[in-house]
Amino acid sequence: MTGDALKRWICLGCGFSYDEALGLPEHGLPPGTRWRDIADDWVCPDCGTPKARFEMIEIPYADGQPRAAA
Amino acid sequence: MPNSFVLRADERGYNKILSTGATATYVGGHPDAFITRFSSFNFGDYQDGRAGFGRVRVFGDEAFHHPGCNYNMHPHHNFIICAFVLEGRLTHINTLGGMEDLVSGDYYAFSAGSGGLHEELNRYAEPMRAIYVWMLPDQLYLPPSYARGHFDAAAGMNRITPLLGDAAGAIKLSQDARVSRLVADGPGGFRYRPRSAGHGVYAFVIDGTLHCDGATLKRRDSSGVWGAEEIVYETGRGDTDILLVETII
Repeated sequence: MTGDALKRWICLGCGFSYDEALGLPEHGLPPGTRWRDIADDWVCPDCGTPKARFEMIEIPYADGQPRAAA
Repeated sequence: MPNSFVLRADERGYNKILSTGATATYVGGHPDAFITRFSSFNFGDYQDGRAGFGRVRVFGDEAFHHPGCNYNMHPHHNFIICAFVLEGRLTHINTLGGMEDLVSGDYYAFSAGSGGLHEELNRYAEPMRAIYVWMLPDQLYLPPSYARGHFDAAAGMNRITPLLGDAAGAIKLSQDARVSRLVADGPGGFRYRPRSAGHGVYAFVIDGTLHCDGATLKRRDSSGVWGAEEIVYETGRGDTDILLVETII
């Protein structure tokens, strides 16, 4: 585990999560896109919360997840 | 060594969210309808306070004013959203098929998990007041779940009653957290033993007076204590009503 491992972030407005390993291809962010490389004015696709109000998390996925996030 | 903080009622964040104008898609209802929200922790436009406490990220002391006042149906993931109704009547609707009314003493836990939507609605003229608590889950994208419970203040008088968590009779949470209610009708000492030194307890005074860790807390004041083997809560004269949220820190 290096300090540069791929990380996950959660929206503090609604709980939407962004996983660097998965990206958000449907929103133009290919798998592997680093959080730091996402524009500062990017907002949560579900609720519009600004990028700055996401929190980096180290929470594992439930069994069988992630499927394509609903 | 135990650590602690005190948060006074008037130090919390405050929002008045109108059902007209820019927030009309967020909050609905009669044109006069509005929601007031006092936030213990940073949420929405309030970002000047604490980020949270342990796994808790939102603690909102909210009131829905005028008929039809609601948070319109909106999506969530992951967060465990809990509501504790204090006054009035809350209609809660969710995409697990739940649509029900909750009144004083009723509470629910809605774990949004892999995805769910909900609406929170006051259909009546009298204000609906509730405490909303959001916690991070211990796993992402769990199957969504919903459960409701009822706190009987008469049966629970002068003791600490578990509402959510791993205690018998409590609604289970997918998180190392517990929520309890303490109501008392006069002075008393109540001992709370957190699960470990790595746990903390956020105590919120719904009403009355509470002495804790050297501080005197009044209505809507709160405190967080962590690293303590035992916490002693002393209730004051008259009626006291406390919500206790224990979480891994």
